[in-house]
Amino acid sequence: MTRIACLLTMNEPAGNEPAGNEPAGNEPARPALLQVALAHSPRVEDAGAGRIYLDASGLEGLFGDEPHLAARLRDAAAAVGVKIRVGIAESRIAALAAARLGRGVTIVEPGGDAAYLAPAPLSLLDLPEETATRLSRWGLRTLGELAALPTAGLFERLGGDGVRLQRLARGEDPRPLVSWRPVPLFEESAAFEWGIETLEPVVERLRELAARVCARLGAAGLAADGFEWTCRLGDGRVHEGALTPAVPITDADSVGGLLRLALEARPPRGVVEALTFRARPVRLAPAQESLTDRSRPAPRLLTATLNRLVALVGADAIGAPALLDTHRPDAVALAGYSSEPSAPRRDSRPPIPLKGVSQHPPSPLGGEGRVRGDTLALRRLRPAAPASVTMASGRPVAVRSARLAGRIVAGVGPWRVSGEWWSPRPWLQDEWRLEGIYD
Amino acid sequence: MAIPIESSPPPGWEREGIDGLLGLFPPGRLSEIVGPRSSGGSSLLLALIARITTSGGQVAFVDGMDALDPASAAAAGADLSALLWVKCGARLRVALSAADLLVRCPGFALVVLDLDELGPMPATAHVRLQRAVEGSDTILITRSARHREGSPASLVLATRRLAPRWMGLRPLTRLAGLRSEVSIFRSRYSQTPALSPLGSGQGEGKAWTLDWTL
Repeated sequence: MTRIACLLTMNEPAGNEPAGNEPAGNEPARPALLQVALAHSPRVEDAGAGRIYLDASGLEGLFGDEPHLAARLRDAAAAVGVKIRVGIAESRIAALAAARLGRGVTIVEPGGDAAYLAPAPLSLLDLPEETATRLSRWGLRTLGELAALPTAGLFERLGGDGVRLQRLARGEDPRPLVSWRPVPLFEESAAFEWGIETLEPVVERLRELAARVCARLGAAGLAADGFEWTCRLGDGRVHEGALTPAVPITDADSVGGLLRLALEARPPRGVVEALTFRARPVRLAPAQESLTDRSRPAPRLLTATLNRLVALVGADAIGAPALLDTHRPDAVALAGYSSEPSAPRRDSRPPIPLKGVSQHPPSPLGGEGRVRGDTLALRRLRPAAPASVTMASGRPVAVRSARLAGRIVAGVGPWRVSGEWWSPRPWLQDEWRLEGIYD
Repeated sequence: MAIPIESSPPPGWEREGIDGLLGLFPPGRLSEIVGPRSSGGSSLLLALIARITTSGGQVAFVDGMDALDPASAAAAGADLSALLWVKCGARLRVALSAADLLVRCPGFALVVLDLDELGPMPATAHVRLQRAVEGSDTILITRSARHREGSPASLVLATRRLAPRWMGLRPLTRLAGLRSEVSIFRSRYSQTPALSPLGSGQGEGKAWTLDWTL
């Protein structure tokens, strides 16, 4: 016989208030309440909106009979600052009804779920609005009235949902508890009796901590998309650092290499007395690689390469170009680069043959001649270089600047273009298309 | 019904031609595109980048002079999310180091080192890059204004501007594009003939006239 206890925070509606007006629950207190439940039972379900169910079967040997268990749960919740009501029954719906309709602690005797639920309002079932309206039009108000309806007729009118609701109204709830597990904290710390003054031992100790964290991540089937560390210094100050790999990783060697680069770029300024290293875990969806996909850089190597490139050119000079939604010239941003495949694009062009003579049947070497090209590429002068322009009859005839100089032989323009006049950064410029002969 | 002149290329213009031309770049080898400004070298690169990124390949572009125009790349059909752009701020040694790092990271289908007028590129850097890319599936292309004697590049393509294409009679109304010429300056594949349709020395001097549309 299964016994279910329902813990309901006190800001849940009491008595016969409709469930549709329920508050969202005491969110800040939820983690603490879940820990209280987990301290009493190995099977806990977080039902949201201030409701927590736990398996109360077989706990007599530990906490005494059910009234004692309920009182203990209520006291433990009060100790962490949460006021709750407790209901215990054979099914979740009856335990919820006991907690919501009762006062403090309510125990429904074994075998008494259906009788206890009979006078309870239909709103306990969290019905969709359409179904609630329909049942209301049938004149149904309580769970007992729903339970008394002929099952076949209910199935004809509401389908499988109607039968499921009727079984709930009778206190029959075959769905097992959905177990909740606390999110593990991937953090390791170390303290030193003697402070460390040089960088190399700090790096090595942090690498050891990172290896332990990565091992735990791997055992849990997780990866990390961010790492943070804290160094407590001898003078009481705290040095903090963080790194974000290009892709989630769990490889200790990669993390160690990135740590070394980050610490060498920004070392702690003082004697280090204690270290803490933590990871931000993420669960990666398994992906099926395709045999026809082109090869991509391995995440570990790519992450190491990108970090070295960032150290070389700076974080603001590397990434995937992204065009901004504006007509402003050269409006481009650098987005984070990832080697993960994007959605395939439809392109009528055949794939470029890259290997093997046999893939080149229409070799251009066989027939020299004119072939059609593609889009003309423009090049930008960054940063924009000041230039002196010689005008004749209102048209430019020569351009001279530090990076480009030449005589103009043909051209069209100017076209005045402007935009974003409504913003703090309006732009306006005259454009020419010129053909020149470089000096 | 009037048909725009630009939409009907004259007989003899082969659509497959540029694809075959781009297929000459050998993986695992250093290639070069050399030519002055406005000679179609960047357009040739973007055409190659577009074809590789749209077929799922990843491309790294080391931009020595920060001159890449992503709008042009997008117009050429490139998938910008598959393009890693490294801006080097006109620093030659930084550009060489960045290219060296990227070539040693397996998985990129193409690594471009665009030096433009930056240089001259040291001969030792050429050799170092060639050694780094050997044995990989990566196409490594350097683009610069002038070819340097002693370069170990397996394929050297030279680009030359023929003429811009203007629309309208006097006065001109619009710049429609550019006609340029690409010729094989050098081809050396004697060690690994399976990598390319070209044999050692084969095709040198052959030229294609390409029509780039703005």
